[in-house]
Amino acid sequence: MSLVKERAGIRTDAPPRTPPGTRRGALPRLWHFLGFGAPGLLVYACFVLAPIALSVGYSFTNANQFVPRTRFVGLDNYTRLLTDQEFLTALKVTTILTLIVVIVPNVLGLAVAVLLDRRGWFYNALRGVFFVPVVLSSVVVSVVWQAMLTDDGLVNTALRAMGVHSPPGWLSDPDIALYSVGFIISWQMLGFCAVVYLAGLQSVPQELHEAAAIDGAGPWLRFRKVTWPMLAPALTINTVMLLITGFKAYDHIQVLTGGGPGTGTTATLAFSVIQTGFTANRTGEASAMALLMLVIVAVVSSVALRFLQRREVDF
Amino acid sequence: MQDRQRTPWLRPVVALAVTAAFFLPLYLVLANVFKPGEDISGHPASLPWPPTLDNLSQALSRPDRLFWNGLINSVTITLLSIVLLTVLSAMLGHYLCRSRSRTARITMLVLLAGLMIPPQVILVPVTDILQLTGMMATLQGIVAFNVGYYVPFGVFVFSGFIRTIPLELEESASLDGAGRWRVFWQIVFPLLRPATASVLIFLGVWIWNDFLNPLIILGPAGGTTVTVGVYRAIGEHQQNYGQVFGLMFLAALPVLIFYIALQKHFVKGLTGGAVKG
Repeated sequence: MSLVKERAGIRTDAPPRTPPGTRRGALPRLWHFLGFGAPGLLVYACFVLAPIALSVGYSFTNANQFVPRTRFVGLDNYTRLLTDQEFLTALKVTTILTLIVVIVPNVLGLAVAVLLDRRGWFYNALRGVFFVPVVLSSVVVSVVWQAMLTDDGLVNTALRAMGVHSPPGWLSDPDIALYSVGFIISWQMLGFCAVVYLAGLQSVPQELHEAAAIDGAGPWLRFRKVTWPMLAPALTINTVMLLITGFKAYDHIQVLTGGGPGTGTTATLAFSVIQTGFTANRTGEASAMALLMLVIVAVVSSVALRFLQRREVDF
Repeated sequence: MQDRQRTPWLRPVVALAVTAAFFLPLYLVLANVFKPGEDISGHPASLPWPPTLDNLSQALSRPDRLFWNGLINSVTITLLSIVLLTVLSAMLGHYLCRSRSRTARITMLVLLAGLMIPPQVILVPVTDILQLTGMMATLQGIVAFNVGYYVPFGVFVFSGFIRTIPLELEESASLDGAGRWRVFWQIVFPLLRPATASVLIFLGVWIWNDFLNPLIILGPAGGTTVTVGVYRAIGEHQQNYGQVFGLMFLAALPVLIFYIALQKHFVKGLTGGAVKG
């Protein structure tokens, strides 16, 4: 949502005018900056910009808690990462997880929104239920699903009662665990998407539907040609939000699988950066990994944003 | 898209069934909070009748005071962070929106880029900076980090609103002799109330729910928040689900009450940008 408005805001910036109380002079302007601008910027600089700059510095060294002398190693960390099996696996895991997290809540959220797009307390209450996981912390959500999905959890108990002899290890089978984690994050984000789509649906003027119906369009055609184009801004917000959610997913993985089962089957980039940086204390390598992750996040989300916003314009 | 007249009951029935399926995991946890331990494994899906408060009192009376310590820390961190964030980002947003310089515009872009930086990217050097300033494993440390990390969101929300406030209003107040400080706090800030509500609500919930940042910055030494407390409790005894559920329920309760009371604001704040025009 943020990026969308930000761009719109910048385009529609008011024409330059003299702000109130502006006297020409460097001193009043300095005071204005020190009073209003500086405090917020200073904290941002200390805890976001400086850390990124430090990361760049670290990433060219072999900084490591267990190696006493830190020295400059040039691009070694980067070149090693690009051939490192663990890193490439993390890249693959991140891609799969992000794809699940972008697609599943978008599709199911739209379905739920269409289903609940009616007035009245009944539908309001149901909408409220779908939004509950969004306000819960991901740790709570993960523990809830852990109780459901562990090997002798509620789901498998139910499956055994129905006569399934060896139900799958939802979180313990290396081939399944990643999909379970993706499903759980999707479950948490579904309500977010549904609420955003509902707001979009309610902005579609009734006359458009009536006009299309008079022209003989059936429900599917009306959805495809009238509703769906009007939902373009909602799709943009949801997709960008979910992309970032998928990339930075950490809490669920830490609670549910700890990066396993096996070696790194659910360890995303975000997870590996923390593991390498804090558990293994390989600061240099973790910094290089973090910066690569930052570049990937920035490129993918701005390309997606650009593409989705272009779609919004032509209908 | 009107419902077909033949089956008017179909939509509510399907809607109710889908919602019930969606809610099932939460129901199971909620029901088991009020059940004695042996029923949790024995009859997980049954209604908690008669309800028992054993799990809650167990969670509340842990000898290590995990919940109470976490609660004090969570409340302190969340309140301090959101008050500071509101004040600083309202002022910064106003400053950047009303400055017409190129520098201000570029600064705004740099700030808003912070919206998509995952915390994992900066946490390693952040701990170094906190160590250097002696704020590692302290509440000041996590509050300072929260302010820096979430200030882009605050500025983003506030500047959207500030742009809708006519400049004439500020001009006439300043012609009447009010200084910048007074113009901002007495004229502009009260008009920003919807934005302030969004910032307080969203950041309040996010910071309360934060897991990774307090886990790393507070560390084992600096205490725990309620959210991290839930994680610590599952690490200890995976078996005692009753107590973990109780703890979880207590940790989520403030957010849930907050959400139920302010549901409209949540949805409004969230969907502001979803509708064209």
